[in-house]
Amino acid sequence: MKVLVAEDSIVMRTVLVSHLQEWDYEVFEARDGKEAWELFQSEDFSLILTDWIMPEIDGLELIRRIRTSTRPGYCYLILLTAKSDKEDLITAMEVGADDFLVKPCDREELRVRLREGERIIRLQQELAQQNQQLRETQAALVESEKLASLGQLAAGMAHEINNPIAFVTNNLAVLRRELGPIIELVRKYEQTRDFLDDAPAELLEDLHRIEAECDLDWVGEHLPQLLQSSTQGLTRVRDIIKNLRDFARLDQAGCDDLDLGQAVMSTLQILKTQIDEKRIRVELDAGSVPTVLCRPDKILQVIYNVILNAVQASELGAEVMVRLMSNDESVIIEVEDNGCGMEKETLSRVFEPFFTTKPVGTGTGLGMAVSYGVVGDHGGAITIDSQPNQGTTVRVVLPIKPSDDSMTASLSKST
Amino acid sequence: MPATTKHAILIVDDEPDVLFSLAALLRRDFQVYTAASGSEALEVMAEHPVHVIMTDQRMPAMTGVELMQRVCAEYPQAVRIVFTGYADTRAVVDAINSGDLYRYITKPWDPDDLVDLLRDAASQHDAMAAKVELLNELGSYFEDALRVTNDAAARDSEFLQEFQARTLKLRRQLELIGEAQ
Repeated sequence: MKVLVAEDSIVMRTVLVSHLQEWDYEVFEARDGKEAWELFQSEDFSLILTDWIMPEIDGLELIRRIRTSTRPGYCYLILLTAKSDKEDLITAMEVGADDFLVKPCDREELRVRLREGERIIRLQQELAQQNQQLRETQAALVESEKLASLGQLAAGMAHEINNPIAFVTNNLAVLRRELGPIIELVRKYEQTRDFLDDAPAELLEDLHRIEAECDLDWVGEHLPQLLQSSTQGLTRVRDIIKNLRDFARLDQAGCDDLDLGQAVMSTLQILKTQIDEKRIRVELDAGSVPTVLCRPDKILQVIYNVILNAVQASELGAEVMVRLMSNDESVIIEVEDNGCGMEKETLSRVFEPFFTTKPVGTGTGLGMAVSYGVVGDHGGAITIDSQPNQGTTVRVVLPIKPSDDSMTASLSKST
Repeated sequence: MPATTKHAILIVDDEPDVLFSLAALLRRDFQVYTAASGSEALEVMAEHPVHVIMTDQRMPAMTGVELMQRVCAEYPQAVRIVFTGYADTRAVVDAINSGDLYRYITKPWDPDDLVDLLRDAASQHDAMAAKVELLNELGSYFEDALRVTNDAAARDSEFLQEFQARTLKLRRQLELIGEAQ
């Protein structure tokens, strides 16, 4: 424990320091208030013993400065004083001293006062730690609540959207089929028109006018593309809905043992085009890890999302590291890239559905949200370290056997 | 069923847009009937022969699986298909496992796949109908066969011609069963 002794009398200071060193404190000395203040600003002291009357900055002023400083952590302050008037003591305590000792100090009294100080410091530290934990738990709780309600919203929405997507997709298929022959029919009419000399002039006039308006050549040429692009758009909507359903975890498959090494290999195979396009070198350190009891399709989806993100974040020709490790309870998949990384702000929103930094149309903003849900369901955890412009490391920790809780949860959902 | 006649399909969904859309898709290949509820569907079944019935799972009053149980009991030869949003999958899987359904289709379906699947369903119907007929006929056919073998008088008669016609018909039914498998 670091202790600072501020005392202008060399005799008094030497005595105090020798006692303190005897009791195994790490002692720093200051010859006056000014030196003590400078030391305070560069070191973290748990406890400070200070004389009251010193040149330039006296003990009271030192205490006042310490109490208003923004340095983190609590510092226990004992004021040494020859004054023993009640009023003086009240002044000292009001300014922020925790305790005082009357000079000349008795060795045993000093010892027990220090012990008391240590006890307070310990309590103070425990409290700060608990507060910190509380804040973190609360933040996590808010986050998971938010994700859960978004999941419910997603599920409801997915169901409602499915029907219109179904019949609109179907209608487009019908239109595609029916419009082809109609265009052909009109073309035939066109060819036939030259033989229509006997038709009433009025009808022929109408025919000319309508022809000019409808620009049949353009329609014939572009109709297939109009229909095809509409169908593709709907396919994209359908995929988004599918992802939303996965995020809300409505469709459950069975559990099975999964070899993660193999899973990573086959994912790399699926992503080969993207990897080759950016000439990414993938360094795979697979080692031998035990199989994991999980829902393989879901975990494959997580691995896919994480590796795809790493590839997309990387520069041309960069390297992506995929590592597999294990301990007694879990298997860890680590994917590291040296790509663009993320700001703190972005990092804190990574698991939110529809949050994406990718250009419109390239990402649905659901990959990490779905992964978060899947890994959580398996009783695992997914964590991300990222520095802007340096890269990102994603760690997925999966228990080798899901706990009974997460198993029952998934089973009850699927029935 | 003669190849020139279209198979009859009944589509059941409480959403009119879905009925309209599917009828438009299927009208070329099938004789299409539509119904907006389970009870309406049973009325249609009572009035027309239906070879394939395809129903939505989620409907007010009677669910798709419930309707299929009624159809299975009353019109066992109609091939039964349910289409469903993913969330209902469990109920439908149970229904398939208990033998009530031929297939299930998830919404949104792929139009081309759907037409193919319904064609398969129609030939499945023909095969089942052929099987039933085959079994019904086989008993008396064997009797006739014995007569042809043992009774010389039967051989150059009208009876022989009729016997040959029956043989061809039974062979055709066997082929239908084979095609669907």
